[in-house]
Amino acid sequence: MIDRLGLLAPYATHLSDFSAMMLVLGLPVLLGVLAACWQPRRSWPIVAFSLLPLMALAWLSFRVLPQGGQTWLIELGSLTLQWRANGLTLLLLLLTQVIVLSSAAYAPAYLREEIGSKGQQVWLWPLQGILAASLSLIWLAGDLLTLYIGLELMGLAAVGLMLLPGRVDALAAGMRYLLLALVGSLAFLLGIALLLGAWGRLDLVGLALAAKPGVLLWVAVALLSAGLLLKAAAFPLHAWLAPVHASAWTPVSALHAALVVKGSFFIVLQLWLVLVPEARVAAWLVGGLGGAAVIWGGLLAWRAAKLKDVVAWSTVSQLGYLLLGFSLLIGTTPSVAEVAWEGTWLQLAAHSLAKAGMFLATGNLIYSTGESHVRGLAGASRRMPLSLLSFGIAAISLIGLPPSAGFTAKWLLLHASLEAGYWPWIAALALGTLLSAAYIFRVFRYSFVEDAEPLDYRRVPWSMELFALALALASLLLGLVAEWPLMLLRAAGGGA
Amino acid sequence: MSQAWLPLATLATSLLVVPLIFALPERAWRMRTALNLSAALLKVVLVALMVWGLYQGESYRFSFTVVQGVTFLFQVDALGLMFAGLSSLLWLATTVYAIGYLEDSPNRKRFFGFFSLCVASTIGIALAGNLFTFLLFYELLTLSTYPLVVHRGHAKALDAGTTYLRYTLTGGLVVLLGVVALHVMVGDVTFGEREMLADLGPEAHGLLTVLFLILLLGLGVKAALVPLHGWLPRAMVAPAPVSALLHAVAVVKAGAFGIVRLVYDVYGIGLTYQLGLLTLLAVIATVTILYGSMRALAQQELKPRLAFSTVSQVSYIVLGISLFGPFGTIAGLVHLMHQGLMKVTLFYCAGNYAEELGIHRIDQLDGAGRRMPLTSIAFTVGALGMIGLPPVAGFISKWYLGMGAVQANMPWVILVLVASSLLNAAYFLPILYRLWFRPGPAHGVGEWPQERRLGRFETSGWLLWPTVSTAVLSILAGLLAGLPFSPLDLASFVTAEEYTP
Amino acid sequence: MPPFLDALLALAMVALAALVLLDRHLVRACAWFVAFAVSVALTWWRVGFAWLALLELLLGALLTGAFLFYALDVKLWAGAPQVRLARWRDPVPLTWRRGLLRLLPALAVLAMLGMALASLADASGPLRAGGLGLIGLGLWAFALHRHLLRRLLAFNVIGTGIFLILMGLVGDRHPAAGHGLVVTGLLVALLGTALGALLIRRLSGLEVRGVRSAARAGRGGA
Repeated sequence: MIDRLGLLAPYATHLSDFSAMMLVLGLPVLLGVLAACWQPRRSWPIVAFSLLPLMALAWLSFRVLPQGGQTWLIELGSLTLQWRANGLTLLLLLLTQVIVLSSAAYAPAYLREEIGSKGQQVWLWPLQGILAASLSLIWLAGDLLTLYIGLELMGLAAVGLMLLPGRVDALAAGMRYLLLALVGSLAFLLGIALLLGAWGRLDLVGLALAAKPGVLLWVAVALLSAGLLLKAAAFPLHAWLAPVHASAWTPVSALHAALVVKGSFFIVLQLWLVLVPEARVAAWLVGGLGGAAVIWGGLLAWRAAKLKDVVAWSTVSQLGYLLLGFSLLIGTTPSVAEVAWEGTWLQLAAHSLAKAGMFLATGNLIYSTGESHVRGLAGASRRMPLSLLSFGIAAISLIGLPPSAGFTAKWLLLHASLEAGYWPWIAALALGTLLSAAYIFRVFRYSFVEDAEPLDYRRVPWSMELFALALALASLLLGLVAEWPLMLLRAAGGGA
Repeated sequence: MSQAWLPLATLATSLLVVPLIFALPERAWRMRTALNLSAALLKVVLVALMVWGLYQGESYRFSFTVVQGVTFLFQVDALGLMFAGLSSLLWLATTVYAIGYLEDSPNRKRFFGFFSLCVASTIGIALAGNLFTFLLFYELLTLSTYPLVVHRGHAKALDAGTTYLRYTLTGGLVVLLGVVALHVMVGDVTFGEREMLADLGPEAHGLLTVLFLILLLGLGVKAALVPLHGWLPRAMVAPAPVSALLHAVAVVKAGAFGIVRLVYDVYGIGLTYQLGLLTLLAVIATVTILYGSMRALAQQELKPRLAFSTVSQVSYIVLGISLFGPFGTIAGLVHLMHQGLMKVTLFYCAGNYAEELGIHRIDQLDGAGRRMPLTSIAFTVGALGMIGLPPVAGFISKWYLGMGAVQANMPWVILVLVASSLLNAAYFLPILYRLWFRPGPAHGVGEWPQERRLGRFETSGWLLWPTVSTAVLSILAGLLAGLPFSPLDLASFVTAEEYTP
Repeated sequence: MPPFLDALLALAMVALAALVLLDRHLVRACAWFVAFAVSVALTWWRVGFAWLALLELLLGALLTGAFLFYALDVKLWAGAPQVRLARWRDPVPLTWRRGLLRLLPALAVLAMLGMALASLADASGPLRAGGLGLIGLGLWAFALHRHLLRRLLAFNVIGTGIFLILMGLVGDRHPAAGHGLVVTGLLVALLGTALGALLIRRLSGLEVRGVRSAARAGRGGA
């Protein structure tokens, strides 16, 4: 499996490739600091400037893809870091940049209309830049030290973003998040320490070859996974997620649910594939947690009274699907693993786009009606069709109805589960679909109510509507054109 | 590729209309009407072009890969065109009807937007060339009909919508599981490649039977097979054009069409016969036919009675398929179209009575024949067709069903047909009696519940002419059944393809 | 290095950590923490990692201590404290029932860690033993305490323990990698503590404002 992760890619020989990669990493931070100084009031400058990292990414892809992938060795004194880029990495980088762009472009109008002058607005931009850069670092990392740096930066930036509203509820939820994130980091560091102590290497390729099963490996993997699953809000370590989203700013929620939890998931999946690719029983355990997450998150989303809680619990539920993919990749036959590989990454991308779009659309709905409860949407379908449309299209992908990317991903995961004969996962996927439909249509039921009192609807600025709709449509279209990104996943050193 | 643009264009006529309708403001009803009508007419023209092309021997195909091993495929064949033709014709009629029916209602923009999406889904189902594409549009149909069912927005409509979703989404999920399982077993099955499953050998028969039952379960929800029919009577709370669409054109027909595709194009009639599933289908169809008719007898309101009548009548299609032999096949396929025409007429009439005179219950229909003669004649035509009397098209279906039963050596089916016709008569004839032979407010006895004079004739022209047209078509389909391009001819064309290897 | 001195140093480190974590008086606990950081720096210096000692002094003792005192709103150069001393005590009592449930994962972690380290039979005992002791203490404190500042202190102690174990495992063989990890870890701990300190200040400020406005409203209404 490590060739699919691009870890066996050839070494880079051109300086230009390295510069392309440094641009991809550094530009978001630079742009973030720039935006903090300038404080944009409109969306189009953000979109215009965000094209620069996209162009750098295109340049990087152009250099990397013909060979299938590339590895870079970076020497800092006597320390060697190993970074790599392949099809999967580039797709994840693209996903990161698209979502950060949308969230950042959504922010000016949101800050102007909804927040006014409360909170620490100037910090939003550099923190977003740092978040984007740290996520890119995680996708690119080929050794444990870089992973650790990226993970920590991401965690701290995420906590910082969550604290921006400055209200008591945001601070209290952020405090809990900070403590749990720090504990997770400690567990991760302890795991790395054990691995380094046992085999003396930090690079993933070397560890894949050197790691021998034994008490030490199991303890190290257990510690790593515990820390990372805590950061990824996996059941049963998910309780911090919903309160944090309830009080966060909308673009921050979108960014967090779409990418931050996925970063931790990526690291834990990668480490398992490198260290313990045959651990069937342990993978089943994680899959079982995933199934429980799907059902528990779905039930709580169904019962939630506030809109943002519905979307936050839906995140917990959908992350369960990714954990199911976990157990379909580890300890299974190659044909099952191949289908599950495509399904897992497609589900990750589909959920990121759909969840980000849904959070932005929810923000629009809450802003427009002035109510944060689900029943406040009564009669909304008459007056706010565009926000509801974005919500609906994103919801289609979340439930997994055709023709969305969520459907295609669910198809692949079902295919893999059926081929492997894992009946519990099929039941989990089916129940998850029905539960998502239940809590989504509960929201829509309210919006169709005719005999509700008419509320005062505030008009939502077009830039806020635009990016919510764009992300939702992206999740829909990805379902039909899924073959192109999946070809990249296969071609770059991960072929059958 | 001239071969690809025609099916795509047909889909596009309703799909592209959707964002346009949502973009127009609520008040721009003239532009919206023009848009709807021109799109409907264009679709009829395009489908006619495809029919003509098919008779010339051309093939239309469009495909692209969604993921490895799964293709999105549009493939035009005679069976699909039959369904597409029915949908496009009836969409035109229902569009006209809906424009008149919803004249003073709020939320027309929302209604027509999802209306067009619903028809786009139906065309997609008709043109689908494999199970994946079929499933895609099948679920899209569920999504697009939900806002139509809950259109009125009061508590009863919302509850009906929730029930509808519970049934149809679960059914869709079951179909998804079956389709993925088939993909795991044999890969992508294009409609018509029956040898893919037949070649699997006898060891796979057990698994194939289970898969068939799973798919039948999922498709049976939309096809309203007993006991999966519970959503249908409750969906009667929707406006009449929606009921007409759901029952005659789109949802229930899509379920029945799916079963037809399953038996003929995925499994093949030979394999289904070998697995012994035809008898099962016949039994299920019989139970549904009789149960539906008996529940219809017990209804006091007009639309629920028509709803249970649909439950019963659609199973004639399933019954026809389950009779092994060309006559049974012809009967099932031709009834797909005839039932569409006749049922849509009946629902239009029910809507007319409700809009013009405020009639919802059957006992309020006394003497309506005098007040609304054209509507009542249309209702009579539809009812006689349901019972199976010539010259209305329903007679042709029942005749072929009888012949198919004889050919398949299942003479007990004839008894079922006779019993069901008697039951149909039992619940339709009293209505006809009330319409024509009982004195009512038109004769000075009592009053109509809520009379509105909607037009120069007995009711608004928008409501009247579609009703009359579909009634006339029902008669013509029966009278001119022997001519080429009639529904019977098309069904025979399809059957000939099916039974000649 | 004379073993007696090393053992004493390790013992002092653990004792100081215990003092940090057990003291309810928060300002005093922070003072103990600065002393603890100095003792850790001494340990690094004794084992031979001069750079780490310097970093520990700078980041651990100086900056972290500064942030902690900032959180408590203590101005070391001012005279008498300007706020009530009561706020500097952790008022929440230890409830053993709830605490026991949280202690179980901590004990599990310690057990696993012990097993893993046992399988690596190596020299450099005091670092490892000291690290294990610190981790144990820190986990116990983190699980049972509820006050944010005390949990931050516990987090710092656990972190230090992990660094000790790390350098004990790899120090002589792969110093570069170990150094990289520890430096990153120190920076992360500092940033985390800084964020936590800012949080505590903000929260207590909001609480005070809330209490004052409620009191004003009460007085206004009365």
